[in-house]
Amino acid sequence: MAVSCHGMFDLDSCNVQPDSCALPKGAAFAFIKAVQTVNQRLLGLSEKNKTLLFEVVLLGKDCEEHIKLNIFDSAKHYGLEIDKFYFCSSDNLIGTLQANHINLFLSPDKDDVYSVLKAGVPAALLYQQAEQQAINRLKVLFSGDLIGLSADSMVCLKDRGFTDVHIQNFKAAKECLREFVVRIGEMKRMFGHEGSPLHTSLMTVWGSRDVCASALKTLRGWGLDVDEAFCLAGATCGPILALLQPHIVWDNGLHNLKGVAPLLSS
Amino acid sequence: MTLYPGQVMKGQNPMPLTPPPNSNGDSNDSWDENKGFCESVGPTKKPQTEPVRRARKVEGGIFFPKPENAVTIAVSSRVLFRTEKEQKVFEEKGVEEYLNYQALEAVNSQLRELYPESEELFDIVLVTYNHAHVGVRLINTINHHNLFIERFCMTGGSSPIGYLKAWHTNLYLSADAEKVQEALAEGIAAATMFMPEKQVEVSETQLRVAFDGDAVLFSDESERIFKAHGLDKFFEHERENEHTLLEHGPLKGFLEALGKLQKKFYAKGHRLNCPIRTYLVTARSAASSGIRALKTLRAWGLETDEALFLAGAPKGPMLEKIRPHIYFDDQMFHIEGAAERGTIAAHVPYGIAQMYSHRKSTNSAK
Repeated sequence: MAVSCHGMFDLDSCNVQPDSCALPKGAAFAFIKAVQTVNQRLLGLSEKNKTLLFEVVLLGKDCEEHIKLNIFDSAKHYGLEIDKFYFCSSDNLIGTLQANHINLFLSPDKDDVYSVLKAGVPAALLYQQAEQQAINRLKVLFSGDLIGLSADSMVCLKDRGFTDVHIQNFKAAKECLREFVVRIGEMKRMFGHEGSPLHTSLMTVWGSRDVCASALKTLRGWGLDVDEAFCLAGATCGPILALLQPHIVWDNGLHNLKGVAPLLSS
Repeated sequence: MTLYPGQVMKGQNPMPLTPPPNSNGDSNDSWDENKGFCESVGPTKKPQTEPVRRARKVEGGIFFPKPENAVTIAVSSRVLFRTEKEQKVFEEKGVEEYLNYQALEAVNSQLRELYPESEELFDIVLVTYNHAHVGVRLINTINHHNLFIERFCMTGGSSPIGYLKAWHTNLYLSADAEKVQEALAEGIAAATMFMPEKQVEVSETQLRVAFDGDAVLFSDESERIFKAHGLDKFFEHERENEHTLLEHGPLKGFLEALGKLQKKFYAKGHRLNCPIRTYLVTARSAASSGIRALKTLRAWGLETDEALFLAGAPKGPMLEKIRPHIYFDDQMFHIEGAAERGTIAAHVPYGIAQMYSHRKSTNSAK
């Protein structure tokens, strides 16, 4: 199985300096390196793991021609193993993702992630890393507030001000998450506890400890035992996130919702 | 107990009573509540008459005091639960609570009564380097005992010290001396818990915390003189420096945090029956070396409700009388003495005393 991910370079900060500059590393950079480490380790364990590897695809949105060239060159310059490059317009983002059977879309842009999630394509946030570190481990963070709620109990979210539409989206997002978790769980099992290049954590921000317990159980039911768990019960997640420095953050689109955003703001 | 708009009532969950006979609501206060309630409490627990679960609902979510505003006490899982000696697994039946958190909750509920909007309450966070797969069982146990712990952090093997800072921890209690030392090195007040085999009764309505002076509230500078040059030199040094303030020690910040909460009670006229009470229990003597300690505290704007100058007498009997919920000392000798008498003691591995192995001596007088 291939899990395809999209990442981006930091296109904004690079001026139009053709050829000479390789694009500065963006949020995705450490992530891609970490993914490559995981891939190497998986292959190192067994040739049969070829089916489990990550396959990284780079998606550029609304890119001008010279930028495209820059991207190719930069990828080569940094030695990134990128299998495919896709370029599309922002309108066609979801279409491109669906047409190419992308399993996971990653972007530092919250709006993109949310709109892709709404369309039923799994998507998660690329966390802005303070520094390029920990490339020998891929860190994934799951936000447990929704995972911990079963489909039925999600109805209770209405009391908190979420609409039916929101709840539908949550359910869809949870399904997407499930597929990803199953695969990550399989990969993780290859490595064992010590020295694993795959590091997973769970964080519930505004749920009670029961929600956290329920989330842990749900993830376990899907085949994944997380390494770390945090139950914040309303504390700001900023400091914890800064310490954790995950590469990918799965928050099921929660962050975009009004009223919830202040609670989740980092 | 008044309910505040956001509070969620949970069913009455009496704390399980442990076999040892408990006297009801005595003057013994389990101070430990503040400190890591999470840590298993001593044997006696009285059923709580108030089933309230400390939660406040606010549009869209449940929230609890922000860590930076609350007096945050982080405890490790071993302090919270006493596991069976043979197995490290947290089984529901085999778990007792170390700490009697009821006094802590009593303080919190009174604070809420007086200052409903304030976030300056006690908050206990479980910070453990357990792997998250133990997490569900841990949460189940917490639920089973109806402990007021909403926040936790399972680091799955990595050091919890960074997270302690992120939580604005005012005090970290652990059974692991190494972790405690790491925390102290980072400037976080921390102590290693020692539970006595048989605990004296502690009050459930008043939180009592006792501190040693040197190397706990104050730095170990005087301790060094004593260890290096003996008692006479120590007295001389103290006399000469009577007007110089002592440097602050690792737990000064925590006393400060307690003092802040105490002042809130005083402001509303609860001076005499304040549910938090602090004690200084020092081997210094009142007539001479103790003066410097008092002056230093006063200069810092801090005070303890009681100051006991033992002039070298053993601390055990005095502690037994006070019945603090927890007692902090830097010397294992005193910790063991306290534990022998049934006081919950916490060792602060700070300062010169750590270089000297503990020996039972009759003349550890200062």
